[in-house]
Amino acid sequence: MNLPAQHLSDEAVAAFADGALTEGARARAARHVADCAECAHAVAVQREAVWALRAAPAPALPGDLLERLRAVPSTTPLNGQPIAIDPDGSAVFPAFGTAAVAEPSDERAEMSHRRARPYGLLTAAAAVIALGAVGGAVVSTSDAGSGAPFAPGTPPVRVQPAGGSSADLIVQPASGTAIFARAGR
Amino acid sequence: MTNAVWVPPTWDEVVREHADRVYRLAYRLSGNRADAEDLTQETFVRVFKSLAEYTPGTFEGWLHRITTNLFLDMVRRRQRIRFDALPDDAGDRLASHTSGPEQAYAERNLDPEVQDALDALPADFRAAVVLCDLEGLSYEEIAATLGIKVGTVRSRIHRGRVLLREALAHRAPGVRPVEPGVITAEATL
Repeated sequence: MNLPAQHLSDEAVAAFADGALTEGARARAARHVADCAECAHAVAVQREAVWALRAAPAPALPGDLLERLRAVPSTTPLNGQPIAIDPDGSAVFPAFGTAAVAEPSDERAEMSHRRARPYGLLTAAAAVIALGAVGGAVVSTSDAGSGAPFAPGTPPVRVQPAGGSSADLIVQPASGTAIFARAGR
Repeated sequence: MTNAVWVPPTWDEVVREHADRVYRLAYRLSGNRADAEDLTQETFVRVFKSLAEYTPGTFEGWLHRITTNLFLDMVRRRQRIRFDALPDDAGDRLASHTSGPEQAYAERNLDPEVQDALDALPADFRAAVVLCDLEGLSYEEIAATLGIKVGTVRSRIHRGRVLLREALAHRAPGVRPVEPGVITAEATL
């Protein structure tokens, strides 16, 4: 940024106050501010606003809201799409009413285009086993390339029952509620 | 970080790690508990529904983007409602979204005058200032969050802070009063 020896622009005043100018621009701005009461005042106004904001205590999360957030997986209707794929070989599938499982196919291409997966209907008991096998196969065909929903190092989410321990499958038979399964790695 | 040893977080872990931050942002943007709770809940519902569509980047940035855009959508929606012909009971329904002064004071841990000063800012300015000064995002991150240019981010932050400083001038301890006339009088632009 070219900062002439004139007054700082509004944008430069904010950036200087934040220490966000590049080194050369910062040095020029600092020389100007040292000699210019007007720009020094403008910079001070910026900093004082920041201090006033940061001095204010943060609002605390209401406890009942935290409980509602934790319950989101069991209270949020989904549209049958898989909701997560882990790069380490586990997958999370939602379904409605009846347990569902993805067929082994070219999942990488499907995921990248966000098309619906083919689902086969299973009983909940069968889904535990089938998802463990099929889900693993699904992920094994998918590397962490650019088309995958999760790139290396990004955090997908493993869904567990709200308040539950480590079950891989949540079954809520009521119509319209979600069933989640996590396939083993 | 290698995939072989990395264990993805559970939903519970995601909530515990991010709920405070999302609620804080939602509160500072919306200025009241009811809206902050709604925005926070909706943010996590969106996150849950969109996990498969999550594109690489930081989880925090994703949450900021969702929360802020939900807030801006909410503001625009209410502005449209106000411009449209209002049914007779609309005033009551709109009023129910905001708290009276006493209730607002009681439910706020945030300094009420600071929050009032924030609330008085135009929503676009408020979002830029909150993301910068309270959430600590860089100009570039704010530009990406709001879908605007970095120069626009800077000017909104500058203007927002000037307005904030003026709103707090009458009382903020340790903060010198602003004298708007001085700048104009001495300006040699």
